[in-house]
Amino acid sequence: MPAPGPVPQTGKSDAPDFKAELLSLVPFLRAFARSLTGNPEAADDLAQETLVKAWQNRSSFIPGTNLKAWLFTILRNQFYSDRRRAGRQAPWDQEAAEAIPGASGGQFHAADLSDTVRALRRLSDEQREALILVGAGGFSYEDAAAICKCAIGTVKSRVARARKTLIDILDGGERLDDTARPAEGDAAREIMAQLDRLSPGQPPKKRGD
Amino acid sequence: MTQQWEATVSDEEKPNEKARAIRARQRAIGRELRRMYDDVAQEPVPDDFMDLLRQIDQANAAGKKS
Repeated sequence: MPAPGPVPQTGKSDAPDFKAELLSLVPFLRAFARSLTGNPEAADDLAQETLVKAWQNRSSFIPGTNLKAWLFTILRNQFYSDRRRAGRQAPWDQEAAEAIPGASGGQFHAADLSDTVRALRRLSDEQREALILVGAGGFSYEDAAAICKCAIGTVKSRVARARKTLIDILDGGERLDDTARPAEGDAAREIMAQLDRLSPGQPPKKRGD
Repeated sequence: MTQQWEATVSDEEKPNEKARAIRARQRAIGRELRRMYDDVAQEPVPDDFMDLLRQIDQANAAGKKS
């Protein structure tokens, strides 16, 4: 969302107000974290790390801009950097990892999750996060693009491919080839990115479905 | 792209019905995703988070004094 001119919150945009706003957004941080990690405990750790980071960096938040999108950006960065760090450490005991529900790209925690949610686990990270932000979190394509640091057209194509892949998985086709083949995706992404550059300032469409 | 496709197969495959079916499935998937997300967002915030924010408060107060 392009900030409609920073709202003057001069001086003490700091302590209590900022903290109250952080608190009000915790439920959404937890929801986003849960959908990234698929694991309630890991998700809450991630959401807490995000709060700490947000507080430490609060001076870089521009009052009047979208705090929720700012927090989601921090959470997403933290998620990927935690995971990179984990990847560099000694490889896990795969058996132990699989025994922990929700660990290592496996299943969601709860037993009664729908097929859709289980299928979500099998999307690529890029497609999953785009679909969650737009399809569940209610973010505009524009905000989702800012959070994921990519072009608006890229978000659109990721969401479209995520929906298609989910249907394929649910139909039992296991056609994950689309996600595993980066060349095609990259080409489409680049085309969409170019389209975005050609049509700037287009208001993000909110989709009803 | 859709138009082109419809122009070539519309007679034998009723693409509108197919497209409608796909849209219906996508809506169902969308509802499911929102339900998953909203379920978490509606949970009460665990005490850990309140504790963390209290700590932040105290750190903030200490920072102001020094």
